[in-house]
Amino acid sequence: MKRIAVLVAVLGAVYFSGNGYLMNLCVVTALFTLPALGLSLLMGYTGQISLGHAAFVGLGAYGSAILCKSLGLNPWLAIPLATATATLAAWAIGWLVFRLRGHHLAMATLAFGIIIHVATVELKGLTGGQDGLSGIPALSFFGYAMNSDAAIFPFAWLVCILGIVLAGNLVHSPAGYAMRAVAESEAVAASIGIAPDRLKRRIMALSGLYAGLGGALYAHYLGYISPGPFDVGFSVRLLLMVALGGFAGIWSVLFGVLFVVMTSELLKPFGNYDVVLYGVLLVVVMVWCPRGLLDGLAMLWRGGMRMWRGAQAAR
Amino acid sequence: MTVELTAELTALAQYVASGLVVGSIYGLIGVGFTTVYNVTGIVNFSQGDFASLGALGAIGLIAAGVPLPVALAIAVLCVGLLGVLIERVAIRPVGNDVLRGIIITIGVGVALQGIAVLVWGTDAQPLRAFSGEKPVNMGGVTVPPQAFWVVGTAAVLMMLLWLFFTRTYVGKAFRACAVNAYAAGLMGIPTRAMRSFSFFVAGLTGAIAGVIVAPIALMQYDSGIFLGIKGFVACIIGGFGNPVGAALGGLLLGLLEALSSGYLSSGYKNAIAFVVLLAFLFVRPSGLLGELEAVKR
Repeated sequence: MKRIAVLVAVLGAVYFSGNGYLMNLCVVTALFTLPALGLSLLMGYTGQISLGHAAFVGLGAYGSAILCKSLGLNPWLAIPLATATATLAAWAIGWLVFRLRGHHLAMATLAFGIIIHVATVELKGLTGGQDGLSGIPALSFFGYAMNSDAAIFPFAWLVCILGIVLAGNLVHSPAGYAMRAVAESEAVAASIGIAPDRLKRRIMALSGLYAGLGGALYAHYLGYISPGPFDVGFSVRLLLMVALGGFAGIWSVLFGVLFVVMTSELLKPFGNYDVVLYGVLLVVVMVWCPRGLLDGLAMLWRGGMRMWRGAQAAR
Repeated sequence: MTVELTAELTALAQYVASGLVVGSIYGLIGVGFTTVYNVTGIVNFSQGDFASLGALGAIGLIAAGVPLPVALAIAVLCVGLLGVLIERVAIRPVGNDVLRGIIITIGVGVALQGIAVLVWGTDAQPLRAFSGEKPVNMGGVTVPPQAFWVVGTAAVLMMLLWLFFTRTYVGKAFRACAVNAYAAGLMGIPTRAMRSFSFFVAGLTGAIAGVIVAPIALMQYDSGIFLGIKGFVACIIGGFGNPVGAALGGLLLGLLEALSSGYLSSGYKNAIAFVVLLAFLFVRPSGLLGELEAVKR
């Protein structure tokens, strides 16, 4: 609760500072946090890898955009429908992929991600192919169109904080302990009355819900979508966000997202260095700080302090 | 009627020819996966990037004025050494942890692609064909001369690897590590050196696959992703950990892709490979020839 108050205070300060650049970064962070939270629930807490999470974000984004543009639905109706589609898709994919584990699971989810990406490129009649879809109507609230950073900022963060609170409640509920039990050992989990496959499918569906909702909001926020942002690279970036936060940890996911959004902004003027940094960071975090970048830095700091004190004592 | 039939047959033969060429590449990359997996238990998701790096390296060296054969040799050897370096720095510290191994090799792949962008840019780069561009006509089927280089090199390399693994002392030690690394260590086989060596071989085969296919398919920084995934699909079709299966799976996948893009639609070519992958994973996850019993973990 205290953390949420701090977060709201910081966000309020950003909002009332009126700094458009900061506000843009914050909106992007909120929209990326939703899919990253979903991935953290699946990977960090339930121990199941997914390399195709961008597909669910894409399903949400394209679903909502197509419902609005072809059927003329109101965005307020299209977003829940598209989110439900992504959720259902995730649940259905769960039936298939959770027969596999380890490398095979990783490749199957990667393949699923690529199939959806190829479909968004090739189904030109529906998705506009590489050109994408433009003119997606913005969300409007009693005639107040949320089509700028400042306008969507409160709503995006409201949804994001709601997502954080719900995910936090879930991982501290009995279901959350069941998830961790499945991550540790499926055989043990099954022996104490948890059905691992059913639980994994449900978490996959929930994960798809988070990703789809993030994607749908993204589509209505930008007003334009193309297949590019929903490729394998985005799945890997989501993976990096979750890895930087140490996989399991609702609040550390927020840190991971913020870190990736900030570094990609800071490195933008220098060209393509961000990709190299992402790759190296992913390796460094996995090798030296499997519990997240913050934890690794804290350990480095404590180790450094100990050495320094040792040197003082020796003198 | 007969004219039409002949035309149909020629078209079919053309698809088969191009499928076999691409398939040899997938097979070579698949063999690279197998070599690393058998010794370390890790699927190296950056295997495809070895291919694109090898090709781009050779292209860069040729642009710098190095003669073609020397450039190819240097590029291939450097990628092999890079494989050793990657194993030492990134893979060895995590041991046999599957999840961390997957994420680390993905990170390595992303870093390699990023470096390739910085050095060579995002444009696709051409490599000069080894022996001219004049297509060879064989009874109506035209193939570029490079196709012979691809199939020939792949066949010779696979043969050499097979001889190495089955007929030499080091190859035997290598297989011992694949069967049971702990017991192999007890018998005095330097398992760590074998791990490094497996990455060296994987780097070499990957880079060779890259340089021989580069004159046919343009190479760019991210070509490795698809090559790598297709190589993995080849492994799944043939049975993971089985080198013969990987080669066979590569050829099958190449044929399937060529035929489907010929008769269905070329846009969906990539998706079709993954549909095949999913189908194999669900119906027969051990592949056509079955996984090597000894390396099941």
